[in-house]
Amino acid sequence: MPLEDYAAEMDRCSSCSYCKWIPFDQVKSWRFAKNCPSIAYHNFNSYSARGRYLVARSLLNRQSEYSDTVRRIVYTCLTCGSCDVSCKVCRYNLEPLQMVRELKFTSVEAGQCLDAHQTIIESLRKESNTMGAGRRERGAWAEDLPVKRLPTEKAEVLFHAGCRICYDKELHKNARAAVKILLRAGVDLGILGENEMCCGGRIYSMGYRDDFTHFARANLAIWAKAGVKTVVTSCSDCYHAFKRLYPELGSKIEVLHAVEYMDRLVKEGQLTFRSEIPLTVTYHDPCHLGRQGEPYVPWDGVEKKIKNQIVVYEPDRPRYNGARGVYDPPRDILKSIPGLKLVEMERIREYSWCCGAGGGVREAYPEFSNWTAGERITEAKATGAQALVTACPWCERNFLDAIGAPENGMKVLDIIELVQQALSVEAADGTS
Amino acid sequence: MALPENVFKALEDIVGAAHISNDPAVLDSYRYSLAHTAIHLGPFYNTYTPRGAAVLLPGSTEEVQAIIKLCNQYKIKFKASSTFWSGQAYPSEEDTIQLDMRRMDRILEIDEKNMYAVVEPGVIAATLQAEAMKVGLNTHVAGSGCSCSVLASATSYFGSGPGNLYGGWFYDNLLSMEWVMPTGEILQTGSLGSGCGWFCGEGPGPSMRGAARGFLGAKGSMGVFTKCAVKLFAWPGPKTLPVEGTIPAYKVALPDNFKAYTVAFPSWKAWADAVYWIWDSGVGYLAHRQFNMFGRDLKYAMVKILADPSKTLGDLEELLEDPEVQAVTEQSKRDFQIVLVGMTQRDMAWQEKALDEILSRTGGWKVEAMLAPEIHDWALLYLIRLGHKNLNLVFGGSYDGCFGLVGAPDFGASFAEEAGQFKKEWEQRGAVVEAGGDCMMGPIGGQGGGGTCLWENFTCFDPHDRFSTDGTLEFFDAATGYGIQRGWGVGMEKWNSVARGPDGRTTPKAVRDKMHLAAPQPNIFRYQYQVRKAFNPNNLGDEYFETLEDEDGET
Repeated sequence: MPLEDYAAEMDRCSSCSYCKWIPFDQVKSWRFAKNCPSIAYHNFNSYSARGRYLVARSLLNRQSEYSDTVRRIVYTCLTCGSCDVSCKVCRYNLEPLQMVRELKFTSVEAGQCLDAHQTIIESLRKESNTMGAGRRERGAWAEDLPVKRLPTEKAEVLFHAGCRICYDKELHKNARAAVKILLRAGVDLGILGENEMCCGGRIYSMGYRDDFTHFARANLAIWAKAGVKTVVTSCSDCYHAFKRLYPELGSKIEVLHAVEYMDRLVKEGQLTFRSEIPLTVTYHDPCHLGRQGEPYVPWDGVEKKIKNQIVVYEPDRPRYNGARGVYDPPRDILKSIPGLKLVEMERIREYSWCCGAGGGVREAYPEFSNWTAGERITEAKATGAQALVTACPWCERNFLDAIGAPENGMKVLDIIELVQQALSVEAADGTS
Repeated sequence: MALPENVFKALEDIVGAAHISNDPAVLDSYRYSLAHTAIHLGPFYNTYTPRGAAVLLPGSTEEVQAIIKLCNQYKIKFKASSTFWSGQAYPSEEDTIQLDMRRMDRILEIDEKNMYAVVEPGVIAATLQAEAMKVGLNTHVAGSGCSCSVLASATSYFGSGPGNLYGGWFYDNLLSMEWVMPTGEILQTGSLGSGCGWFCGEGPGPSMRGAARGFLGAKGSMGVFTKCAVKLFAWPGPKTLPVEGTIPAYKVALPDNFKAYTVAFPSWKAWADAVYWIWDSGVGYLAHRQFNMFGRDLKYAMVKILADPSKTLGDLEELLEDPEVQAVTEQSKRDFQIVLVGMTQRDMAWQEKALDEILSRTGGWKVEAMLAPEIHDWALLYLIRLGHKNLNLVFGGSYDGCFGLVGAPDFGASFAEEAGQFKKEWEQRGAVVEAGGDCMMGPIGGQGGGGTCLWENFTCFDPHDRFSTDGTLEFFDAATGYGIQRGWGVGMEKWNSVARGPDGRTTPKAVRDKMHLAAPQPNIFRYQYQVRKAFNPNNLGDEYFETLEDEDGET
């Protein structure tokens, strides 16, 4: 809905600042109590959800205008959603994450864009990916894999690799591992290869709603043509787009993250971990798999008041507060790997700290993005873990870049690498 | 009027370019709606506090000092705030420089042996509590909740909360301070001023607590407090709270030496007698009439919603029809929450016995429904951490307290029913949430006054709705009139009308003087005028440090 429709929320946000901290009940230390990288890094109130409500109101009321500072305020939101979770510990009638998204949409529509994002958008419009690379290179990661090619061939389950994995050679191995594991479990699997397109999720979080809609419709069309019933991805950004955003456009397709699928296969006995991995790991919840990984619930209702001035909705509005995110499947997988020990960071599950890669921040504000990842790595190291495990290539890439050389004391791994190792499935380089 | 370029540049040189802004949008993110919560004035629809001249994020005492000296040089008003919970944190005059103290957020020391912590302004109660618990200590948490600055609560405002009973208000707990005075000089108060460390607020060394903060606190109008020490208390619990449950219904199961009760009474006299006995016997760790903030009629239904992650506000009406909810609501009319914490098992057993005896003598009872494990463990966590205080705003987005009866327990209790009835009649007009009239909430017992209570009758409304906001103002005006007529004094709904007018700006001097002259003890304000003259000769704060100047400008 247009930014103007958030005027009530702008007035009803009380500037309590809960959006700047993890839910207070969960605070375990001074060091790891903050939740929003944007306000933690910039410190001005304007960079919090509370501040962005006020900035948006100021812009709407024409009390201020766009400036470099305002654009920075708008686009340094990672749209990680941590503010949303903390706000909703107590509030039932505010949607800070959606308001900030709308502020981005409005800014883009007003032509208040960032040059750094233009490169991505141009690449997307021309080559259907956000990585500035050629369309034909997209399928390179799977060149020799014995898997069906859609839409020429048909398969019930589509594995969608996503832009980051397709064009980041260091991460090809994750998608290859996922495909091999699923094939080994007997899944009727296919990939789109060079016909695969961007999910649109990242540009949505940067404020390019129309481009997102274009790619969502294009993906839904090609999936329909290929007869796909289930889409599996190991990218949490793509997962969120397919799971939460596509249904708004009518998608009914089943969407699973690879960890959900593999957890299901493990629990059904179709995958059994036989190899021991003597490693202490900590798990990073990707924002788009965790707190934003809740299923979409259709709603077409209106606000109403009860008891004179209590704001509720008719019918009751779905409440996205992170309670139903995907948290346990990756943990269950890790706990079931022989020899592997999982130790938790302080900020986990719905109040996890972001990796810093989202919302177009990695591309436009690399220093801030890198700092955000560094904060998480510091937290991970505090657990004593040897490896930081995640389930999203964007998180993995940001951590890899921030952590630098392996000798810096911590490995960064995708959970699928560990699954592959525990299953003794042949790795990308031919070893097992 | 924008800051002169040379002044802005000089300020930028002090804090660095990354820590100063005069972008209008940034400045507007440091304004506060007067249609909002805890403004204690109004509410006034679509009205905001004045826009500042610049926002600065100082990173050290030295930077604060340099800023203030520059402000004195150019006669520019300034206001420092830490966590910006309420309207008092915002300037009341145009072109004030705003100091956001967020970057100064270190816990400098936790002295386990001497049981105190030294903190900077940006430290909130949640983080101090979490760190203190690791060494078997705990901090008082102000009633506004653990999101608020410990230093601001202790040096500059009330600091009253559920911990009053065991630990005293924050102003009781304030030890030494580092104070950048309004002239820019740095004063170390209490024992710190004589080089003896932070352990004492009143010496050996300058005993300046009274001058620096008074009773209510100067609310950011008398310089900047850059460090302070606060007393900590024993915490006989785990080093980290073992929180479980699904958001937002987090809960904690603690050992047997922790228990959260809701107790209720057959009459307000019995209620007050119980509070006195609790005070006399030394029973209890936290005590507050907390959940009544939702209103007498709604509180148990709200507890059911909050302790169940599958429920939302949309379930409220159905819950209110539930006979079990209705029965518990009825038996909880005159209630409060009390958390017993035993330092030993024997201590706990004694406290349990003492509480039972108090209930027996007063005819009171424990509300059984609040002892259901999922509710008890939720309430226990809620009261220990006090991390759900934006529930104050859960209904329509805004609230403010009215009446604000501060005094001995039976002072408030004597008038609770009458005040509630008055409000109930106004609730029926539709502008405020219909909650049963009695929405009185506040701490039970405080060391400062031998068992004082603060009663705040929550009034919830919608700041986006002109009818609701204007109607709330009308009600507050009526409440003030009623309180004065009944001899209760001006209610907290008007506390800031001395300092700030309906446009959010400083009230004219003539109006302030008139209000202060009408106060029971005008000499307090004459004295504060002398304090301000001595410590703040250029008067670079706002009018929250209340003063009375006689007609010739002198006392």
